[in-house]
Amino acid sequence: MTTEPLAGTESNGIDRRTLLKTVGGSALAVALAGCTELLEGEQESAADADVPDEPIESGLQTFTEGAPSVLGIQAEYGAETAVRRINENGGIAGREMNLDVVEEGGAYLTNYQQFVDEGKDVTFGPISSSGHAEMVPEIEAQEVINVSTDGTVTTLYEEDFPDVTYSFRFQNHDVMEALAAVNQAVEVLGADSIDTYAGINPNYAFGQDEMNLFSQGIEKLTGAEQVYSGFPDLGTSDMSTHITEINGEAPDVVFSSCWGGDATLLLEQGHANDMFDNTELLVGTVLYGSANDMEEDLVDGPIYSGSRNFYWGEPSTDRWSPAADLVDEVQSEYGVVPTAHFMSGYGAVTAWATAAEKAVSLLGRWPEQEELAMVLENHGFFTPAGYHTMGSDHQGYSNAHFGELTWSDEHDAAALQDVNVFAAKNVSPPPGEISSDWIGSW
Amino acid sequence: MSRFLVDRDGETHLRLAEGMELTKNQAVLAAVGLVALLIVPDITRFTPLSFTAIHRGILFGLAAVGLNLLLRHTELVSFGHAAFFGVGAYAAAVLASQFDVSSGLLMLLGSVLAATAISVLIGYFVAGYLDIYFALLTLAFNQVLYAFVLQSGYFNYSDGLNVRPDGLNPPALFGLQLSSTGYELVLYYLTVVVLVVSLLVMWKLVNSPFGRALDAIGQNRTRARFVGIPVEKYVWVAFVISGIYGGLAGGLFALLQLHVSPEPTLYAFVSGEILFMAILGGFGTLVGPVIGGVVLVYLLVQAPFYIEYYNALTGLMLLAVVLFLPEGILGSIPKIGTGLSRRRRDPGLLREDVATIGSSLRRGVSRAATTVRIIVFGVN
Repeated sequence: MTTEPLAGTESNGIDRRTLLKTVGGSALAVALAGCTELLEGEQESAADADVPDEPIESGLQTFTEGAPSVLGIQAEYGAETAVRRINENGGIAGREMNLDVVEEGGAYLTNYQQFVDEGKDVTFGPISSSGHAEMVPEIEAQEVINVSTDGTVTTLYEEDFPDVTYSFRFQNHDVMEALAAVNQAVEVLGADSIDTYAGINPNYAFGQDEMNLFSQGIEKLTGAEQVYSGFPDLGTSDMSTHITEINGEAPDVVFSSCWGGDATLLLEQGHANDMFDNTELLVGTVLYGSANDMEEDLVDGPIYSGSRNFYWGEPSTDRWSPAADLVDEVQSEYGVVPTAHFMSGYGAVTAWATAAEKAVSLLGRWPEQEELAMVLENHGFFTPAGYHTMGSDHQGYSNAHFGELTWSDEHDAAALQDVNVFAAKNVSPPPGEISSDWIGSW
Repeated sequence: MSRFLVDRDGETHLRLAEGMELTKNQAVLAAVGLVALLIVPDITRFTPLSFTAIHRGILFGLAAVGLNLLLRHTELVSFGHAAFFGVGAYAAAVLASQFDVSSGLLMLLGSVLAATAISVLIGYFVAGYLDIYFALLTLAFNQVLYAFVLQSGYFNYSDGLNVRPDGLNPPALFGLQLSSTGYELVLYYLTVVVLVVSLLVMWKLVNSPFGRALDAIGQNRTRARFVGIPVEKYVWVAFVISGIYGGLAGGLFALLQLHVSPEPTLYAFVSGEILFMAILGGFGTLVGPVIGGVVLVYLLVQAPFYIEYYNALTGLMLLAVVLFLPEGILGSIPKIGTGLSRRRRDPGLLREDVATIGSSLRRGVSRAATTVRIIVFGVN
């Protein structure tokens, strides 16, 4: 399940037939993998299929306003980019795709219901974990596929809804980034040097899930003791009390799953209160999600961040043209560097689109929702982030990225260096197993 | 005249019960409204209208009917009615997720009991206050409840609770474990029955001596006290009744959404919206708040899909209602009806309307020109 199949390979070294076979057999899959230039003159396999003429209608709910929009708008850009690439490459089995975007904040269910009422063929989103949990039973009741961009709480498919049909999630679930953080901390400091750890995490399902998994992992690997765990409210305006506690305890490692405005606030107030003089290391699973909001002085210090299933600079863009092309396209189109949440949107659309095209070529007609859901299970596909699979548990599995936060003068933005890539099998239990049981068995 | 038809001042009235009579026009409107309610599922099946959004609107409208008892009769403005709506919703959710109660009707009973308890408590503290103090106190209690639920692990913080006893399926209704579509339909018709009964009860209440006493309290508390009305006690009772309506609506909302979280049910903005629903529909009428609920909720649900600055919608609508429809949608119908029939009889009035609009525009342009002249050249 590792995802560097084409890294370092010169694209002109692969013939078209091999490439098509590798990425799933369709020109669309190649285009969404970011290898369009290899497709000139290629015939579509699904061209003769019995497919309706009208465009595919899809809807995305994401955070488009407020502090969480630093992640949500990236997901929107990602989904739009995937849809643009789909339409520029002849659509899905010849059908163009339209995407409506709506703000998700506090309206997850009504948004999904409205999309269904409007006759959407598929829906994407949300970013919010609690919103996703709220939606899953409704998705199963309405029977219109939703591929969640994020909403990554591990227990969702492991314990709360282990047997779903129409609900899928593209982005890595929490256990993958929490354990990537554990591995990163062990690699940087060494297991013997980690005696204490602390956490500052947002006070809701996602933050509690991440802290719980990180605690289990680091205690198992290092025997470290938790000395403080604080849960500031999501979107808080002050973290100083938590930082003061950290300074008092001086733990070896601080773990955080703060994201969006909370991530930048943690770094700002951490620097202002000398937190980085009182700890050896801060590992934050989604700090880099706020890359486009960070100033140069914020990234200074022993700060490591995860980047979920995509970091644009790994493999290096001079060795991996799909990512290089994507960065260029996103910078020219939107003026930002793509973060992991960009890939959340891009990958969710790609998962569904490539599965739909596969279903058309299998059936010779446009699939029903249930048929498409069956094809999505265990479906493998490429994006510029590499190879992904949608597990039988409806959870997406990809590599997890973690690296040291730094500043890129070239892109005038925060970046990661010395990026570690953790294969899914090393940071996630196999489908069907419960993460906490799996960690307990180490 | 039959048992159901009575003559009042030469006009035939439909008599529903002792003291409950409708004029011919009212009876026709009520019948049309009832039929419209009953055929909503069919209408939404064949049109792009959203069934769930209308259902939600009716529920918020029911809460607004409760709030209107205070607003219209005791003239007290509550900025905290989401407290009862939220408590009702959370009561149902707690029963489903923490106590494995699978009966929807039991959950609804729990909602009513919880809302009654909380409104008795809050009402005790606020019944003696007036005007801004009453408004702020209700808002304060609402915020306290919101913050408490948001910080509480028992209520699962901001994530909220499911109203699915087995984790996936909706609760049973009338002992039946229904399919998703069947559940929605049965719940909707249960809502219609609850709404009609609630409106009849409210009608009976406001036309009873107790309702008249509330009117007296609203007009002048001191005088009401001097004529022997136990003002605080009556306001307290009205507050509790109002809260029960909110709790009932919240319980049904929980059964509809099957998930309850703090922001859509307990947040102070929701209180503002419930108040606005009563004003929008016509707080001088019994049914107006329901109309206001359906219209506002429908717009709030739909707007983000069509308008970029949808957050401004409530404010713009509030401005429009205050400036052009101060009596609300339903409250303005008689005035609009009279105006139209006068213009049918005398088309010359239309010319006067055009002239009035023209002169208003001229005045506006003249004022703007004067303002520009003063800005550019000064007062002299």
